[in-house]
Amino acid sequence: MKTLMNIDNGKKVKILKISGGKSIRQHLQCLGIHIGDIVTLKKSSFLGGPVLLEVNGYDVALGKGVASKIEVEEVE
Amino acid sequence: MKIAFIGQPNAGKSTLFNGIAGYKTITANFPGQTVHYTVSKVTVADETFEIVDLPGIYSLTAIDKAELESRKFILSGQAHVIINVIDASTLSRSLELTLQLTELQVPMVICLNMIDEARRKGIEINLEKLSNIFGVPVIETIANKGIGLDRIFTSAKEAFYKNLIPQIQNFHKDIEEKINEIERIIPAEFLPKIPRRYIAVKLLEGDTELFEEISIYPEFLSKINEVREEIKLSHGRHADTVISSERHALTMNIFEEIAKVGEPNKTLREKIDDLLTNRYLGYPLLFFILFGIFFIVFEIGKFIEEPLINKFDLIIQKLPQYVTEGSLMFFIFKGLLEGFSGGLGVAIPYLIPFFIGLTILEDIGYLPRMAFLMDTVMHRIGLHGKSVLPFIVSYGCNVPGVMATRILESPRDRFITATLSIFVPCAARTTVIFGLIGAYIGGFAAAGLYIFNIFIIMILGAILTKFIPEITPGLIMEIPPLRIPTFKNVFMKTWLRLKDFMLVAWPLLVISSIILSLLEYFKLDMFLNQLFSPIVNLILGLPEQTGITLLFGILRKELSMIMLFQAMDTTNLSTVMTKIQLIVFTIFTIFYIPCVGTMGALIRELGAKKTFLITALSIAMALILSILARLIFSIFL
Repeated sequence: MKTLMNIDNGKKVKILKISGGKSIRQHLQCLGIHIGDIVTLKKSSFLGGPVLLEVNGYDVALGKGVASKIEVEEVE
Repeated sequence: MKIAFIGQPNAGKSTLFNGIAGYKTITANFPGQTVHYTVSKVTVADETFEIVDLPGIYSLTAIDKAELESRKFILSGQAHVIINVIDASTLSRSLELTLQLTELQVPMVICLNMIDEARRKGIEINLEKLSNIFGVPVIETIANKGIGLDRIFTSAKEAFYKNLIPQIQNFHKDIEEKINEIERIIPAEFLPKIPRRYIAVKLLEGDTELFEEISIYPEFLSKINEVREEIKLSHGRHADTVISSERHALTMNIFEEIAKVGEPNKTLREKIDDLLTNRYLGYPLLFFILFGIFFIVFEIGKFIEEPLINKFDLIIQKLPQYVTEGSLMFFIFKGLLEGFSGGLGVAIPYLIPFFIGLTILEDIGYLPRMAFLMDTVMHRIGLHGKSVLPFIVSYGCNVPGVMATRILESPRDRFITATLSIFVPCAARTTVIFGLIGAYIGGFAAAGLYIFNIFIIMILGAILTKFIPEITPGLIMEIPPLRIPTFKNVFMKTWLRLKDFMLVAWPLLVISSIILSLLEYFKLDMFLNQLFSPIVNLILGLPEQTGITLLFGILRKELSMIMLFQAMDTTNLSTVMTKIQLIVFTIFTIFYIPCVGTMGALIRELGAKKTFLITALSIAMALILSILARLIFSIFL
């Protein structure tokens, strides 16, 4: 299964599953990241660093701990 | 009439607030136990409005401590009108908070701020439709340019007098049934002033705070858990996810109805942004930006400081012409002048450029980008990128630095970050580093001391992480778009920060200086110095007279340097202290005991026990590092 950690720069992905506890889910929901949403990966992880997502026109940074818990599939 | 500004972080609430509260009104800070909101009174056409600026909140399900405080205020029912401030460029997400606010059933105004940024992104919003959906006034503003601010009061009045309570937007039928089911069985005496629907929805979402409060009604609690299980079974997802998806779907529907999204104008800003967070170039840029700020602060500070200090020295030298030398009055005047010049001459020349630099970095939006860049490094010391923000603020002053730890989600992160923050050399300690090491040894030595400091903080962080293992989810943070700081805002913020120094720290400096002078007059200083002599003289190898200056440094760190000149009775320290002594003195000053103000902030944020622990740690660190410095430099110098 692909997570946000193994997607290339500039790719559009659909969020399939968010594993992890309630607090992570709620935090992501607050920032407008939901299952089924399509987001763009603006900056992919570099040496296990954070990723930068574009969600509905604004940017959200996710550390590798969180990014590796979000399962995605590439869409076109 | 009391109106509260509520909105997601970075929606521009404070800019709006400053825009309408203006320079004329008295802004009061209410630093209660943890609450930190600002209240101001404004009179418009014979009517007095009390306006409250609350910390940003993404949702009414609070995630960090600052959000919890905002929520407490909103639920307290004190506000007559809510102004829901929305960053129009993130409308789709912001509406989720709006939906939750409708459940509170308080008259509301929707304020679409930063409408210019939304247009730049190609978003066109139909205000009339939005107003019809919620049944409340909708206004457009561009807070940093002061556009549309006058309409805030007129629409607040309209909402209040016409009692324009926002229309609740319904979820799907099956969920609404569950909400009704719970609404009916909420005990009447449970939070009687808060609308039942709000409580029901939050309980379905599994709100931690509310669950703690209803634990006294075990039957009710088990019923809620039952309903949550039912939802999970029928939808195949956790109840909180279901509610959040419902809300998300609702907002997307509203968004599509009221907004048209065209092509965004790709601008220079995006290109600059891309460069600032570039995986290779981002780091050297970060280094140059920070180094540049320190360099400019140092140069400007020195340029202003020297002529000012010379003037004061001249006055102090002429003092015996007016007052008899050696009399009580002479000592009081001398203390007064030295304290006054210490504030005006030594601290302010460095503080003003530093505050301007910090404000510009903040207003541009560089700090969150730093957090992004530094995330990997911060993981090495068991924290994540967001902790960079308290650290950077701490370079200005540890007090707001410690308070900034509120943006962190877990108590563990707050504790470690606050502990490490107090070792960051604040502006006061910066004046010590520049005034002693920079002036007598050289700029490179001063820079070296900063690098040494960062190195020690990282080692300490790594050690603390070993004791308190990591359980945090990591970085989850919005990166706001780059913005051009306005002159007015930079000026205002710098002024507010400077005012804090002038009203609190400066008088303290003058008073302490007079006290030191009096101690000298009554020959008490020798007694105190002898008391500290075993540590100061034997262990650290410093002149005995420095003991008392270190004692005063607990009040304000720069006091220890300003008083050092006074205690050693010279304006050129290199004649009475060796380089090693200067280095040891400075290192000790950087690391030992946080100043009184910082201790106050620590007690407020972490409690007395942890503050005591941190203080003890800082003394141990200061002693160990100073002794090491003394030994190592005795070999090499």
